[in-house]
Amino acid sequence: MFGDLKRFDSGASQRLDWFRQLMDEVFPDGRAADIRAVPRGSFPMINVARSDDAVRVYVFAAGLAPGDLTIDIQDSVLTLRGRREPVAANDDEGSARPVFRRERVSGEFVRAIALPDGLDTERAEARHANGVFEIVLPKREELKPRRIEVQVA
Amino acid sequence: MNEVVHQTQQTQPETQRNESREPATLLPAVDIVEHADALTLIADMPGVTRESLHLEVDNNVLSLEGEIQLSMPDGLTALHAEVNGQRFARRFTLSHEIDSEAISARIDNGVLTVTLPKKDSHRVRRIEVQAA
Repeated sequence: MFGDLKRFDSGASQRLDWFRQLMDEVFPDGRAADIRAVPRGSFPMINVARSDDAVRVYVFAAGLAPGDLTIDIQDSVLTLRGRREPVAANDDEGSARPVFRRERVSGEFVRAIALPDGLDTERAEARHANGVFEIVLPKREELKPRRIEVQVA
Repeated sequence: MNEVVHQTQQTQPETQRNESREPATLLPAVDIVEHADALTLIADMPGVTRESLHLEVDNNVLSLEGEIQLSMPDGLTALHAEVNGQRFARRFTLSHEIDSEAISARIDNGVLTVTLPKKDSHRVRRIEVQAA
Protein backbone atom coordinates (compact mmCIF):
# COMPACT_ATOMS: atom_id res chain seq x y z
CA MET A 1 0.00 0.00 0.00
CA PHE A 2 2.74 2.46 0.85
CA GLY A 3 4.36 1.45 -2.36
CA ASP A 4 1.30 3.11 -3.87
CA LEU A 5 1.64 6.15 -1.68
CA LYS A 6 5.17 6.56 -2.89
CA ARG A 7 4.05 8.04 -6.15
CA PHE A 8 2.25 10.78 -4.25
CA ASP A 9 5.53 11.82 -2.76
CA SER A 10 5.85 15.56 -3.04
CA GLY A 11 9.52 15.89 -2.32
CA ALA A 12 12.90 14.30 -1.84
CA SER A 13 13.76 11.75 0.81
CA GLN A 14 14.02 12.56 4.52
CA ARG A 15 17.76 12.33 4.24
CA LEU A 16 17.75 15.47 2.11
CA ASP A 17 15.41 17.27 4.44
CA TRP A 18 17.85 19.86 5.77
CA PHE A 19 18.99 20.56 2.25
CA ARG A 20 15.43 20.95 1.07
CA GLN A 21 14.64 23.36 3.85
CA LEU A 22 17.71 25.40 3.02
CA MET A 23 16.77 25.45 -0.65
CA ASP A 24 13.20 26.40 0.19
CA GLU A 25 14.47 29.34 2.19
CA VAL A 26 16.94 30.51 -0.41
CA PHE A 27 14.84 29.76 -3.48
CA PRO A 28 11.21 29.74 -2.41
CA ASP A 29 9.16 27.83 -4.93
CA GLY A 30 6.53 29.89 -6.66
CA ARG A 31 3.79 27.36 -6.20
CA ALA A 32 1.21 28.16 -3.55
CA ALA A 33 1.51 25.91 -0.52
CA ASP A 34 -1.52 24.30 1.02
CA ILE A 35 -2.65 26.46 3.92
CA ARG A 36 -2.22 23.57 6.35
CA ALA A 37 0.90 22.08 4.79
CA VAL A 38 3.71 21.34 7.24
CA PRO A 39 7.43 20.92 6.83
CA ARG A 40 8.57 17.36 6.44
CA GLY A 41 9.42 15.58 9.63
CA SER A 42 6.60 17.12 11.66
CA PHE A 43 5.19 15.07 14.50
CA PRO A 44 3.01 13.12 14.15
CA MET A 45 3.14 12.31 10.46
CA ILE A 46 -0.20 11.75 8.77
CA ASN A 47 -1.33 9.74 5.76
CA VAL A 48 -4.83 10.05 4.35
CA ALA A 49 -6.36 7.49 2.03
CA ARG A 50 -9.78 7.11 0.48
CA SER A 51 -11.80 4.03 -0.35
CA ASP A 52 -15.28 3.73 -1.82
CA ASP A 53 -17.00 3.87 1.54
CA ALA A 54 -14.67 5.81 3.85
CA VAL A 55 -11.74 8.12 4.30
CA ARG A 56 -9.00 6.68 6.49
CA VAL A 57 -6.49 8.80 8.36
CA TYR A 58 -3.31 7.14 9.61
CA VAL A 59 -1.44 9.02 12.34
CA PHE A 60 2.12 7.80 12.90
CA ALA A 61 2.59 8.75 16.55
CA ALA A 62 5.22 6.48 18.05
CA GLY A 63 5.25 6.47 21.81
CA LEU A 64 1.67 7.59 22.33
CA ALA A 65 -0.70 5.30 24.18
CA PRO A 66 -4.34 5.21 23.01
CA GLY A 67 -5.34 7.78 25.63
CA ASP A 68 -2.59 10.24 24.75
CA LEU A 69 -4.12 11.54 21.52
CA THR A 70 -7.18 13.78 21.40
CA ILE A 71 -9.02 13.68 18.09
CA ASP A 72 -11.54 16.42 17.27
CA ILE A 73 -13.50 17.04 14.10
CA GLN A 74 -15.20 20.29 13.37
CA ASP A 75 -16.31 21.66 10.00
CA SER A 76 -14.30 19.11 8.05
CA VAL A 77 -11.11 19.95 9.91
CA LEU A 78 -9.55 17.12 11.88
CA THR A 79 -7.48 18.30 14.83
CA LEU A 80 -5.03 16.07 16.67
CA ARG A 81 -3.68 17.12 20.04
CA GLY A 82 -1.38 15.41 22.42
CA ARG A 83 1.81 15.40 24.34
CA ARG A 84 4.84 13.16 24.26
CA GLU A 85 7.11 13.02 27.26
CA PRO A 86 10.77 13.77 26.58
CA VAL A 87 13.45 11.27 27.51
CA ALA A 88 14.72 12.19 30.94
CA ALA A 89 18.19 13.64 30.56
CA ASN A 90 18.93 13.39 34.26
CA ASP A 91 20.04 10.49 36.34
CA ASP A 92 18.14 9.49 39.40
CA GLU A 93 20.61 11.48 41.45
CA GLY A 94 19.93 14.51 39.29
CA SER A 95 23.22 14.78 37.47
CA ALA A 96 22.97 15.46 33.74
CA ARG A 97 23.76 12.75 31.24
CA PRO A 98 25.52 13.37 27.97
CA VAL A 99 23.08 13.35 25.04
CA PHE A 100 24.52 12.58 21.62
CA ARG A 101 21.43 12.86 19.50
CA ARG A 102 18.06 14.37 20.14
CA GLU A 103 16.03 14.02 16.97
CA ARG A 104 12.77 12.83 18.46
CA VAL A 105 10.13 15.48 18.95
CA SER A 106 8.73 15.80 22.44
CA GLY A 107 6.30 18.04 24.23
CA GLU A 108 2.88 19.28 23.17
CA PHE A 109 1.72 19.14 19.59
CA VAL A 110 -1.36 20.17 17.65
CA ARG A 111 -1.92 19.27 14.04
CA ALA A 112 -4.93 20.00 11.85
CA ILE A 113 -5.79 18.62 8.45
CA ALA A 114 -8.65 19.41 6.11
CA LEU A 115 -10.92 16.49 5.30
CA PRO A 116 -12.94 16.05 2.13
CA ASP A 117 -16.60 17.01 2.37
CA GLY A 118 -19.39 14.52 2.78
CA LEU A 119 -18.11 12.47 5.70
CA ASP A 120 -20.37 11.12 8.39
CA THR A 121 -18.42 12.20 11.43
CA GLU A 122 -21.06 10.72 13.75
CA ARG A 123 -19.92 7.24 12.76
CA ALA A 124 -16.19 7.96 12.92
CA GLU A 125 -14.04 5.40 14.70
CA ALA A 126 -10.41 5.32 15.80
CA ARG A 127 -8.10 2.41 16.51
CA HIS A 128 -4.55 2.19 17.78
CA ALA A 129 -1.81 -0.38 17.20
CA ASN A 130 1.96 -0.16 17.56
CA GLY A 131 2.07 3.62 17.69
CA VAL A 132 -0.19 4.14 14.67
CA PHE A 133 -3.70 5.53 15.03
CA GLU A 134 -6.23 4.71 12.34
CA ILE A 135 -9.23 7.00 12.10
CA VAL A 136 -12.04 5.73 9.88
CA LEU A 137 -14.48 8.36 8.65
CA PRO A 138 -17.33 6.74 6.71
CA LYS A 139 -18.79 8.59 3.74
CA ARG A 140 -22.40 9.65 3.88
CA GLU A 141 -24.75 7.19 2.20
CA GLU A 142 -25.69 9.52 -0.62
CA LEU A 143 -22.04 9.99 -1.64
CA LYS A 144 -21.09 6.35 -1.94
CA PRO A 145 -20.55 5.14 -5.48
CA ARG A 146 -23.61 3.51 -6.99
CA ARG A 147 -24.02 1.43 -10.07
CA ILE A 148 -27.08 2.14 -12.14
CA GLU A 149 -28.58 -0.82 -13.88
CA VAL A 150 -29.83 -0.22 -17.41
CA GLN A 151 -33.31 -1.58 -17.78
CA VAL A 152 -34.45 -3.43 -20.81
CA ALA A 153 -36.97 -1.40 -22.74
CA MET B 1 -7.89 18.30 -0.33
CA ASN B 2 -8.49 18.37 -4.04
CA GLU B 3 -5.65 20.82 -4.23
CA VAL B 4 -3.27 18.35 -2.59
CA VAL B 5 -4.12 15.64 -5.08
CA HIS B 6 -3.75 18.03 -7.94
CA GLN B 7 -0.29 19.18 -6.85
CA THR B 8 1.05 15.72 -6.27
CA GLN B 9 -0.02 14.64 -9.72
CA GLN B 10 2.02 17.42 -11.21
CA THR B 11 5.21 16.18 -9.57
CA GLN B 12 4.64 12.60 -10.55
CA PRO B 13 7.24 12.33 -13.32
CA GLU B 14 9.89 13.63 -10.94
CA THR B 15 9.06 11.15 -8.19
CA GLN B 16 9.06 8.29 -10.61
CA ARG B 17 12.63 9.16 -11.36
CA ASN B 18 13.41 9.12 -7.64
CA GLU B 19 11.77 5.78 -7.25
CA SER B 20 14.25 3.99 -9.45
CA ARG B 21 17.15 5.71 -7.71
CA GLU B 22 16.34 5.18 -4.02
CA PRO B 23 14.36 2.56 -2.16
CA ALA B 24 11.40 3.73 -0.10
CA THR B 25 13.23 3.46 3.20
CA LEU B 26 12.59 5.90 6.02
CA LEU B 27 15.16 7.12 8.48
CA PRO B 28 13.80 6.84 12.03
CA ALA B 29 14.41 9.76 14.40
CA VAL B 30 16.62 8.69 17.31
CA ASP B 31 17.74 9.92 20.73
CA ILE B 32 21.01 8.63 22.14
CA VAL B 33 21.78 9.18 25.83
CA GLU B 34 24.81 8.01 27.80
CA HIS B 35 24.51 6.50 31.25
CA ALA B 36 27.29 5.46 33.59
CA ASP B 37 27.11 1.82 32.56
CA ALA B 38 25.36 1.88 29.19
CA LEU B 39 24.23 3.90 26.17
CA THR B 40 20.53 4.05 25.39
CA LEU B 41 19.23 4.47 21.87
CA ILE B 42 15.59 5.33 21.37
CA ALA B 43 14.12 5.23 17.87
CA ASP B 44 10.66 6.16 16.60
CA MET B 45 9.38 3.36 14.43
CA PRO B 46 5.59 3.67 14.35
CA GLY B 47 3.80 0.68 12.88
CA VAL B 48 6.70 -1.68 13.48
CA THR B 49 5.88 -4.74 15.56
CA ARG B 50 8.11 -7.07 17.54
CA GLU B 51 7.89 -9.57 14.69
CA SER B 52 8.72 -7.13 11.89
CA LEU B 53 11.69 -5.62 13.69
CA HIS B 54 15.16 -6.80 12.83
CA LEU B 55 18.18 -5.84 14.95
CA GLU B 56 21.67 -6.94 14.13
CA VAL B 57 25.24 -6.26 15.25
CA ASP B 58 27.77 -7.17 12.63
CA ASN B 59 31.38 -6.09 12.68
CA ASN B 60 30.65 -3.36 15.25
CA VAL B 61 27.78 -1.95 13.18
CA LEU B 62 24.34 -1.91 14.75
CA SER B 63 21.53 -2.13 12.17
CA LEU B 64 17.95 -1.30 13.00
CA GLU B 65 15.38 -2.39 10.45
CA GLY B 66 11.63 -2.58 10.73
CA GLU B 67 8.77 -3.13 8.39
CA ILE B 68 5.64 -1.01 8.89
CA GLN B 69 2.75 -3.38 9.55
CA LEU B 70 -0.59 -1.77 8.89
CA SER B 71 -3.82 -3.57 8.26
CA MET B 72 -5.30 -1.58 5.42
CA PRO B 73 -8.28 -2.65 3.34
CA ASP B 74 -7.86 -3.13 -0.39
CA GLY B 75 -8.85 -0.46 -2.84
CA LEU B 76 -7.44 2.55 -0.99
CA THR B 77 -6.32 5.61 -2.91
CA ALA B 78 -3.87 7.97 -1.28
CA LEU B 79 -5.04 11.54 -0.80
CA HIS B 80 -2.09 12.80 1.22
CA ALA B 81 1.04 10.96 2.33
CA GLU B 82 3.75 12.13 4.68
CA VAL B 83 4.99 8.62 5.37
CA ASN B 84 5.79 7.17 1.98
CA GLY B 85 7.84 4.11 2.62
CA GLN B 86 7.20 0.67 3.93
CA ARG B 87 10.23 0.22 6.16
CA PHE B 88 12.55 2.03 8.57
CA ALA B 89 16.28 1.43 8.52
CA ARG B 90 19.28 3.02 10.16
CA ARG B 91 22.80 1.95 11.05
CA PHE B 92 25.25 3.05 13.73
CA THR B 93 28.89 2.21 14.29
CA LEU B 94 29.53 1.05 17.84
CA SER B 95 32.66 1.92 19.72
CA HIS B 96 34.78 -0.90 21.16
CA GLU B 97 33.68 -0.35 24.75
CA ILE B 98 30.15 -1.61 23.99
CA ASP B 99 29.55 -5.20 25.07
CA SER B 100 27.75 -6.37 21.93
CA GLU B 101 26.83 -9.71 23.53
CA ALA B 102 24.76 -7.96 26.17
CA ILE B 103 22.70 -5.60 23.99
CA SER B 104 19.00 -5.73 24.77
CA ALA B 105 16.00 -4.11 23.09
CA ARG B 106 12.28 -3.69 23.41
CA ILE B 107 9.59 -2.05 21.31
CA ASP B 108 6.58 -0.39 22.85
CA ASN B 109 3.93 1.59 20.95
CA GLY B 110 6.31 1.93 18.02
CA VAL B 111 9.21 3.24 20.11
CA LEU B 112 12.29 1.06 20.04
CA THR B 113 14.63 1.24 23.05
CA VAL B 114 18.03 -0.39 22.67
CA THR B 115 20.32 -0.67 25.70
CA LEU B 116 23.99 -0.91 24.83
CA PRO B 117 25.88 -1.89 27.99
CA LYS B 118 29.53 -0.96 28.34
CA LYS B 119 32.15 -3.55 29.07
CA ASP B 120 33.06 -3.71 32.75
CA SER B 121 36.46 -2.19 32.16
CA HIS B 122 34.91 0.93 30.64
CA ARG B 123 32.28 1.80 33.21
CA VAL B 124 32.49 5.13 34.91
CA ARG B 125 33.92 4.92 38.38
CA ARG B 126 33.80 7.84 40.68
CA ILE B 127 37.08 8.37 42.46
CA GLU B 128 36.77 9.76 45.90
CA VAL B 129 39.34 12.37 46.81
CA GLN B 130 40.58 11.59 50.23
CA ALA B 131 41.23 14.21 52.79
CA ALA B 132 44.89 14.67 53.44
